[in-house]
Amino acid sequence: MKLAYYPGCVSKSTGKEMDVSTRAVCAALGIELDELDDWNCCGATHVSHELVATGLAARNMAQTDLSIMTACSICYSNLRAAAQRLEETETLEKVNAVLDKKYIGSRIRHALDVILEALAENDERIVVPFMELMVAPYYGCLLTRPAGQYSPEFPSILETLIKRLQAEPVEFRLKTFCCGGPIFMPQEKAAEDIAFKILSEAKKAGAEVIVTVCPLCHLMLDAKQKVLEQKHGERISIPVLYVTQLAGIALGLGPEELGLEMNSVSPMAMMERVYARLSE
Amino acid sequence: MSLTRDEEFKQEVLRQAGGEVLTCIQCGTCSASCPTAHLMNPSIRRLVKLCSEGKKEEALHNETLWMCTSCLLCTVRCPRGIRPKAVVSALKDLAKRAGLRSKDADYEQFFLKQIKDYGRIAELALTGEFLLVFPQGAVQSMQMGLEFLPKGKIDLKIEKIKGRDEVKRIIEELREE
Repeated sequence: MKLAYYPGCVSKSTGKEMDVSTRAVCAALGIELDELDDWNCCGATHVSHELVATGLAARNMAQTDLSIMTACSICYSNLRAAAQRLEETETLEKVNAVLDKKYIGSRIRHALDVILEALAENDERIVVPFMELMVAPYYGCLLTRPAGQYSPEFPSILETLIKRLQAEPVEFRLKTFCCGGPIFMPQEKAAEDIAFKILSEAKKAGAEVIVTVCPLCHLMLDAKQKVLEQKHGERISIPVLYVTQLAGIALGLGPEELGLEMNSVSPMAMMERVYARLSE
Repeated sequence: MSLTRDEEFKQEVLRQAGGEVLTCIQCGTCSASCPTAHLMNPSIRRLVKLCSEGKKEEALHNETLWMCTSCLLCTVRCPRGIRPKAVVSALKDLAKRAGLRSKDADYEQFFLKQIKDYGRIAELALTGEFLLVFPQGAVQSMQMGLEFLPKGKIDLKIEKIKGRDEVKRIIEELREE
């Protein structure tokens, strides 16, 4: 299978391990990725003007005839929302009037969905089954927006994937609650309070690892975890992995191939437990 | 007949966010769903009402707009099919056009300017530019930077795409539509 790949801006910086692990997992699963030519920023959550945001997404989508995959829920949501708006003729005409290559239609997929589709139940490529590893599925918000793909209230795709990797999904109350990330630069405290609540809930639910599908959720829960522990005087110490990293471990890929050393909370102790259970 | 400023404002919000705003029944599902509702004054429910009443000053001059995380749960749940987040987006756009400045509005402006100039976001430059004007968050950003730098998670060069003219055109021309 061949897909166009939209890495998104953070793939070059704070979300580098997302990009590294996405490429590695797709290679391991025999999925060929063709990086979108000269891609631009999707506008993230900071381009308020809807038509401008639609135009930015449309320029990316017009670069290929292939289905487009991204591992970032913000990019995913923006491209999907734009594709929906572009079904209206008036919007399509306005947008195409300013584009070099015209938009004619597009199918957008999240890496999560691509990986799940590629993995059979009891897939023999899963060489490191997670046994009873307790994994908290953290959806955040934008994976399920706009409506039409996954249920915004009761999504289940992450649990399905976690089970397919032979791990145990943890039920936790705040799994679809927004991480606060989009306002963390101007409104640091507000965003951090939300992120801490999510970490604390995952901890109470018995998670050994949290899995995320968005680089901003990842930043809030992983990179900020130590600071949040200090501010709240509560120990969390839960590694936070991108879904591509989690799948990659199960597929037997190494820490370097998955960028595991780039995570702020080291997943190494958790991995040792996984390997220990495996050899029991 | 010429429109009053408030009526003009109302029509512009409706044009951007959708005429269904007028069908709001003030049930408060949006406020009850919002992850930052406790930080909003007026509430998102009240903000929608201010727009349908054309109360421009009250609707634009508040912190509520900038507390929205864009999670869209309000929009998912609204029983009338209204998009409260689109109302917020329209108000942000109008606030910027009116030249209203705040930490949050400036952040969005820096963000958009980067897309216009480079086609992509260079996180280091964006953070730097923001912290020069609003240095309160500098210590924590520096701490994160010190951790990320040796891990190769900070891109020191700014990548510029080839299609910058096209991106600039998208931003400038579609904003005037």
